[in-house]
Amino acid sequence: MLETRYLLVGSSHAALEALAAIRMHDAEGSVLLATRDTAPPYSPTVLPYVVSGKSDPNRVRLRSDDFCEAQKVTLRSGSALASLDTAAQMARFADGTEVRYERLLLATGATPAIPKIAGLTRVQYHVLRTLDDAVRLREALGRARRAVVLGGGLVGMHAAENLVHARTETTIIEMQPQVLPGYFDAQAASLISGAFAERGTRVLCGQSVVSVAPRESGFALKLLGGERVEGDLLLIAAGVRPTIGYLSGAGVATGDGVLVDRRMRTSASNVWAAGDVAQAESFLQGGRRVNGILPNAVEQGRIAGMDMAGDPGARDYRGGVPINTYHFFGRQALSVGVDSLEGCETHVQVDEAAGRYRKIVLKDGRLAGIFSIDLPFDAGVMVELVLRGTDLAPVKQAFLENPRDTARALMSRLWR
Amino acid sequence: MSALPQAKTLPGHVVCDGNEAAAWGVVLSRPDMVAVYPITPQTSLVEALAQFAADGTLDTEMVEAEGEHSVLSVLQGACLAGARTYTATSGPGLAFMFEPYLRAPGLRLPMVMSLVTRDTLSPQCVWGGHQDAMSVRDVGWIQVYCESVQEILDTVIMAFRIAEHRDVMLPINVCHDGNYLSFGVCRVDLPDAAGVDAFLGKADTNWHVALDPDRPMGVDPLTGGGGPGAALFARYRKGHCRGMQNALQVIVDTHRDFGDRFGRRHAPLLEEYRLDDAEYAIVTIGSMTGAAKDAVDEARCAGQRAGLIKVKTYRPFPLQAMVQALARVKAVGVVDRSVSFGWNAGPVFQDVLGTLAMLPQRIPAVSFIGGLAGADLTPGHFARALETTAQALAGAVPIAPVWLNENDR
Amino acid sequence: MAAYETIAFDAARCTGCGDCMSACAQEKTGGFDHAASRIQILPAANDGFELALCRQCGDPGCVSVCPAAALEKDAASGVVRWDETKCIDCLLCTVGCVYAGIAYDERTGRVAKCDLCGGDPACVKACGEGALRHVKSAQIYNRYGELEDLFVPGLAGCQGCNTELLIRHVLRAVGPETVVAAPPGCIPGMGTVGYNGKTGTKVPVFHPLLTNTASMLAGVRRTYKRKGRDVTALALAGDGGTADVGFQSLSGAAERGEEILYVCVDNEGYMNTGMQRSGCTPYGAWTSTTPVGERSHGKTQEAKNLPLLMVMHRCAYVATASTAFMEDLYDKLARAIEASKRGFAYLHIYSPCTSGWRFPSQANIEVARKAVETGFVVLWDYTPDAGLRFTRPIDDLRAVDEYLEAVGKYRHLDAAQVAHIQAQLEKDLGLLKELAVRGAQAEARALA
Ligand SMILES: Cc1cc2nc3c(=O)[nH]c(=O)nc-3n(C[C@H](O)[C@H](O)[C@H](O)COP(=O)(O)OP(=O)(O)OC[C@H]3O[C@@H](n4cnc5c(N)ncnc54)[C@H](O)[C@@H]3O)c2cc1C
Repeated sequence: MLETRYLLVGSSHAALEALAAIRMHDAEGSVLLATRDTAPPYSPTVLPYVVSGKSDPNRVRLRSDDFCEAQKVTLRSGSALASLDTAAQMARFADGTEVRYERLLLATGATPAIPKIAGLTRVQYHVLRTLDDAVRLREALGRARRAVVLGGGLVGMHAAENLVHARTETTIIEMQPQVLPGYFDAQAASLISGAFAERGTRVLCGQSVVSVAPRESGFALKLLGGERVEGDLLLIAAGVRPTIGYLSGAGVATGDGVLVDRRMRTSASNVWAAGDVAQAESFLQGGRRVNGILPNAVEQGRIAGMDMAGDPGARDYRGGVPINTYHFFGRQALSVGVDSLEGCETHVQVDEAAGRYRKIVLKDGRLAGIFSIDLPFDAGVMVELVLRGTDLAPVKQAFLENPRDTARALMSRLWR
Repeated sequence: MSALPQAKTLPGHVVCDGNEAAAWGVVLSRPDMVAVYPITPQTSLVEALAQFAADGTLDTEMVEAEGEHSVLSVLQGACLAGARTYTATSGPGLAFMFEPYLRAPGLRLPMVMSLVTRDTLSPQCVWGGHQDAMSVRDVGWIQVYCESVQEILDTVIMAFRIAEHRDVMLPINVCHDGNYLSFGVCRVDLPDAAGVDAFLGKADTNWHVALDPDRPMGVDPLTGGGGPGAALFARYRKGHCRGMQNALQVIVDTHRDFGDRFGRRHAPLLEEYRLDDAEYAIVTIGSMTGAAKDAVDEARCAGQRAGLIKVKTYRPFPLQAMVQALARVKAVGVVDRSVSFGWNAGPVFQDVLGTLAMLPQRIPAVSFIGGLAGADLTPGHFARALETTAQALAGAVPIAPVWLNENDR
Repeated sequence: MAAYETIAFDAARCTGCGDCMSACAQEKTGGFDHAASRIQILPAANDGFELALCRQCGDPGCVSVCPAAALEKDAASGVVRWDETKCIDCLLCTVGCVYAGIAYDERTGRVAKCDLCGGDPACVKACGEGALRHVKSAQIYNRYGELEDLFVPGLAGCQGCNTELLIRHVLRAVGPETVVAAPPGCIPGMGTVGYNGKTGTKVPVFHPLLTNTASMLAGVRRTYKRKGRDVTALALAGDGGTADVGFQSLSGAAERGEEILYVCVDNEGYMNTGMQRSGCTPYGAWTSTTPVGERSHGKTQEAKNLPLLMVMHRCAYVATASTAFMEDLYDKLARAIEASKRGFAYLHIYSPCTSGWRFPSQANIEVARKAVETGFVVLWDYTPDAGLRFTRPIDDLRAVDEYLEAVGKYRHLDAAQVAHIQAQLEKDLGLLKELAVRGAQAEARALA
């Protein structure tokens, strides 16, 4: 049996940030970092670029080789958490190892959601969440001629673009009536899917797959409407679910993910959760939601780490804000906040010809959301304006005309 | 310390006043630093030193400070850095230096200072008297009083050895009377320079407390108050008193060794003059003693059994020596060149009164005050003092002090 | 942890001319398109200008959120470096930054950020208004951090007092071959000389009288010089012991050209013993001996201008300094140390007193800064050859009210008193200016 003061499960953004925060306050307390991954720490976000070849899989590590030594941490890779006894403060791993912890952070992220489709077990399909997934997909990309991407979310759209570049005939199938739901409204989404369509990609929205069957050199999908789509590469990118299988019977309250308070504490004592696995306060929408984006994983990881170490500087989590910085075919699509709230006012500006679009959502004179295509702004500045509830009334006109510079000037003043 | 250039060949004797004699003593003692500020009647001493330094006769760090307060302060810094130091002052200069003056003995700094004694203001006065020296008799400095110009020279040299003695480590005032000694000229013999070097040895002024980056320490941090401070403070004070008491023997030894080496002997603590079969005696201090001795001689010629006790070392007070001297007589008169305002008597008289308490039987004692503000004390004045003391022996003891110059014209 | 250089922006001086942006664009792209500049000057809402520029944060948000390890804080230079070969253009870094310090550049389709031009920023050089400054004080802090701290830990100053920092840094710079004199006041009050036989300093230190600091040090320095040892004689004194009762010894030592480094920490009164008036207490100030009552309203006389008096002694070096302008202070300290090997060096440091001046302890540096920005304190230095020169411009001073309002000891002042102070400042400034002109003329003559 191993013993440690801090047990961090996961080796991605949330866990690494928590580690840094712990070390800021507690230079000596023993830390065990246990992760299912066998590769050195990397980010899932980089995977589409590994697939495209832009990123070398050997150059994506988030920490230098000596970080374990520098941060005085013991790393156990290839070690998957299997079950948890929160009363005994004991974690059991798949290989049978038991670890007694004083403080535990669950940062196990999310796992691709696999929709219930008849026949799926009989065909080969890809997902994209791990480095192994990415390397496999990259190999498959070279051979594929006709690809089907299930899901028009971020992961799916990124993959689809890679397929386009690889001159693979591609179909995107999305259940919702638009691509990138939750980040862009229908109008913006259609600008984006238009760009795909222009390059020969079929984008089938509002469609769901009922069954799949193997074919000689691939597979055939049957859609709810009856249409059949054939292909030789199937990528399932139909969203993710928090990785919480090991929690069954552990007595840790869960909803969609692990429920946490504003210090990332779970319902069990001495257990924290952060990142894609956690279901934390939402800033704009109220209640607790899983907000599976990288900046949130970092922010939550930091708060959890500070709280675990007893750092008096720890502050409450202000709440998650949806954020997306997406680019497609060299164009920018940015999204911060929500695109509708009760009682909000909305200002939209579109230049169809140039493909430019901007939408600003204000509520009580404060920023609730801002979205754009090819009209860049600084997402970090906008998020901060949202979180601070900065009153934009005095600069409203300027903000609507030139949100980027107005926001920059505002933040510059606020920070001084 | 780096080797100092060898002093120039010095004369075997000179004819000079007491101030210059002190300066010659300084030359022979080779201090590392001399700091001065001129003041009457010390001025010619300072001038002599400046000239010696200018000539190269005296190789020292000369500091012409902007006042006596700084004079003593500069020297304290120097002494803490390991320097042998010398200065001279008088009357108002001493008053102005009082703040650092109070501090030097507590720091156990072996400094040598000539005090060319002068009466204190007011009345405004630039002439001799012991009031300045007597005002600081109990702040922890050693005080010795010279009788002659020769004794000034010799005592300045001895003072360095006394002050720097490890059992003592205290500053010393070599007092010589303003006017009579400071300006009185006579022949003085100079001991040979190498002999003085051997007699004094190397200066070691800061082995016990230093401002030296090689031996860093906090010099004179706050001491006292509650906790361990009170006991520590008492320890320092007691050590200071012990140093003063040790000085008595060191002064005796130093005078003896000086006599052995250079052939000139001075009484170290007290001088007993014609005391052996004396019935009564007068006590004197400083340059008045010469005239007083003449008066004693005359009294002896007249068949009186008169004697004299001269005080050389006044602080620490040589109690034992004074007990022994007074034990031989049946009446004593004390001639002071200053007053103790609180006692309506002279200060030396007070000390004698204190000494009398140590004797098996009480003897009558009379206080005489004279020689204030440069007034001359002649054999005539001392004859009167002797006569009055003799009368006291017969039972007529004046209750108030006798002011010797009161009716001078 | 190391400290780093930064570019500081003084909004009050910015005219929005855009020269910095042109310079940056030119430096980084060869063109003059302001959009390509990594420093962005923006019109502010009301008027004036604001700034978007990388702060080279100590704990950079952009680095934390980069999924591709393309951003890194360079431990040596402190610059947050962008590795274009690793960058995947995901723009997450722009989410991590709340200053718009790393931003999307439409022309390249990639992010761009300031890299301090390798330590010599083009924008700063281009700014003619003094709105941008390349603050290198971090180098000084790093340098000082490496020098040995020669005071013991745990000196006990009042909360917010910066004198402890000041004396620690001075002694670090002066080094171990030093004898320190700390006359009665706050500095020994903190425990520098120690208590009951224990010292507070790792070099020889003593407690002179309030009156004789300069003289005692003269004796120390001269003795070592005679012995052939170069020992710095350092005074760490307050204004009371320097300007009032210690002035005679100070003046004498300066006149004799004693080789002393005399640092006067001026907190405008006897603060260690509870805020009594000194000769350096300014007009109008409340102190416990110039109280405010029905008949009196603080001190009725002007402060003695001690540093100018020292100029009149033709010291080897005289300077005024403020704890709010540390670069300036350290520069002067270095000059003063050097000058103290040849003659009397006098450094007069204005140091606000959190306890005695009546302002919140966290406002110390701000109060010190306002004193300078309003001309209440003027930063200059003097050498016999170059004369007097201002080390911080004095032509753009703010009204003195701004300073007086920040300090509780002036709370009672009426309009007439404030006007009096303003008028007196201007007179004093006039005198300094005349001296500075003479200095400049002397220097010109020396050059010619
Ligand atoms: C293809 C792709 C593209 C993305 N693009 C973006 C984007 O552009 N912008 C954005 O904001 N976000 C993006 N994301 C999401 C972002 O990557 C995540 O929000 C972020 O990685 C969450 O970090 P995390 O630490 O919470 O979890 P993860 O990054 O999911 O890491 C989980 C860690 O836990 C380990 N683990 C899992 N289960 C176990 C177990 N049982 N025992 C031990 N260890 C375990 C894993 O090995 C891994 O180390 C993308 C994600 C993907 C997959």
